[in-house]
Amino acid sequence: MKLFEFEGHKLLQKAGIESPFFVVCENLADIKKARLKLKFPVVAKVQVLSGKRGKNGGIVIISREAQLLEFAKEHLGKEFPAEGGEKVKYIVVASKVDLEKEYYVSITYDTISRMPFMLFSEAGGVEIEEMVHKGEEVVRVGIDPTIGPKKADFRKISLPFDFVEKLWLAFSSSDARLVEINPLAKTKDGKLVAIDAKVILDDNGLLRHTDLEVLPKGAASSEPTERELQAHKIDETDYRGSAGSAFIEFPGDIAILASGGGASLLIMDAIAAAGGAPANYTEYSGNPSREKVEKLTKITLSKDGLAGCLVCGAFANFTDIFETLSGFADAILKMKTKVKYPIVIRRGGPKQEQAYEMLRKLAKKEGFDIHLYGPDTPMSVAAHRVVELSEQYKRSMEK
Amino acid sequence: MGILVSSRTRVLIQGITGKSGSQAATELLDYDTRVIAGVTPGKGGEEVDTVPVFNSIAEALEAVGKFDVSMVYVPPLLAKDAALEAIRAKIPLVHIFVEKMPVLDVAVVLAEAKRYGVRVLGPASVGAISPGEAKIGSIGGPNPSRVFSKGPVGVISKSGGMCSEIAMLITNGGFGQSTVVGIGGDLLTGTSFAELLMMFEEDPETRVVVAFGEVGGSSEIEAARLIKEGKFTKPFIVFLAGKFAESLPKDTSLGHAGSIVGLEASMDEKIKTLKDAGVIVAENFEDIPLLIKKEI
Repeated sequence: MKLFEFEGHKLLQKAGIESPFFVVCENLADIKKARLKLKFPVVAKVQVLSGKRGKNGGIVIISREAQLLEFAKEHLGKEFPAEGGEKVKYIVVASKVDLEKEYYVSITYDTISRMPFMLFSEAGGVEIEEMVHKGEEVVRVGIDPTIGPKKADFRKISLPFDFVEKLWLAFSSSDARLVEINPLAKTKDGKLVAIDAKVILDDNGLLRHTDLEVLPKGAASSEPTERELQAHKIDETDYRGSAGSAFIEFPGDIAILASGGGASLLIMDAIAAAGGAPANYTEYSGNPSREKVEKLTKITLSKDGLAGCLVCGAFANFTDIFETLSGFADAILKMKTKVKYPIVIRRGGPKQEQAYEMLRKLAKKEGFDIHLYGPDTPMSVAAHRVVELSEQYKRSMEK
Repeated sequence: MGILVSSRTRVLIQGITGKSGSQAATELLDYDTRVIAGVTPGKGGEEVDTVPVFNSIAEALEAVGKFDVSMVYVPPLLAKDAALEAIRAKIPLVHIFVEKMPVLDVAVVLAEAKRYGVRVLGPASVGAISPGEAKIGSIGGPNPSRVFSKGPVGVISKSGGMCSEIAMLITNGGFGQSTVVGIGGDLLTGTSFAELLMMFEEDPETRVVVAFGEVGGSSEIEAARLIKEGKFTKPFIVFLAGKFAESLPKDTSLGHAGSIVGLEASMDEKIKTLKDAGVIVAENFEDIPLLIKKEI
């Protein structure tokens, strides 16, 4: 889970890393109140998870109230960057720090050495990619996670070792995947202050941090859709098997219930290659319970205007196909508006034949348009089929 | 032959009395794999499908002797301690089936494994199977012979489902597999594509290797480097999935924690690097058997 900058600052503060004084604003009234707590010039910053804020004018130094209100009106509730960006819900107004030097510092995981490491540069303030591109010196130090940073390893970094320890504490105690401060400012009186804070938390660690005060986030943006929120809740109560941990809404009309992390990617590619437009990305796997699949199905199919549904996965090793497809059947029976669009199912694995027998009976009895394919039909063919059937369905609805 | 697991492999299961642990025990025994013992603290003295259960690995070692593999089947937040127990007992291969393990725990386990010279497969790994010989983990479920068959093709995938899917495709295409390995889709994994390629290089039975690659991570790039350095010389066929995700914002995480948009190499970079190293990149998944045929 990616955090807003202000959430990141709070997490760093807990570990003893200072930030400039700031106020989080949701509306113009907040902005006016914030203005009274701060002295001009201030720094106004839109709070979004993606998009280059600095380059796109989302971080501005402001010296007059009128200018501040104008900035707020321009961005609050609007998309950032303009046209197609994220909707801005928060603006942070922070006091401007007189800085002497700007550093870059971060801790994240190296997937090759399989260890956390710190990156440090004396040329902070620009993006790390740009720093590397310009040939600035970037120092890299591995951290043994079993013991934390060793003082001797950090001699080549011109930061006090107690700061290194604080950053490691912020990283390790919150189960972060990334903590990045860019710039980290050295003020005229020699203090280190985090001007920015980028934090990504490990979703698998969230369970042991129920005390962390962070807002829920969407899969691809800062504002989760209702369905994304509901889907993420499914796995919270029961760790066995996953359903809906990854759920992303798309503008298309083909509902996707994929199984398996790898297969789900292949399926999405196949839908796109067949000219279809998915309504969502989601995935269940690892033998989730019937109830979990029922919940995920209900959430996935609750979208209006669907023209098809694809239930598809690779040949299952240990996922009980009868149980999971029973969950699917329970859900379609309980949908408020009857599912009339075509449903294409392609599965293989334990109890698949039994599951298909059940679905055949269900389709006949309830009049569902279910198309069943066994494991010998490639997943790409099933994807193609659902796109074709949904086109036919849309044409028949137009008549 | 094959790699990682053979008919001689002596297996321990941690969490054997749990639902998936006991199921795995039965499936392994049915596939003639030597499950020697299980461990569940507090349940020592019990039996699971003829397999004796002990309170700790130390007790199990004393009673039945050494193990080649320990399989970890416990809840996610207990997985670190279970894996560390196996590593400190110097069991040469620790297979972690557990999904959703916090990445910090994984990093701690892998650092300790390195210190003890222990190989970790996983976390979130479905296991490995050398068809006709033995298997570890839950790969192939209760009926592995439905999709896996013995032959010259080594298979690597992060995804458990894709292990079976590829094996089925290859079997239907007339080829068997030497060993099929699921490495798990987490951000950090104990065993990489490159390390498995090194093992397949040494295995006389393996003549070609097929891998299922994904958006995000650097495992395919690492493998390409190995080939360029001449450390892997057999034909290597790769299929890459997740092209659709490149339109998503950077840092979006998909089904596997390791498949994160924008992490390390982009899809096009991956394809280019692989092709430059002489890797055969399959355009369509279903083309894989044909590509194997060309190489054998």
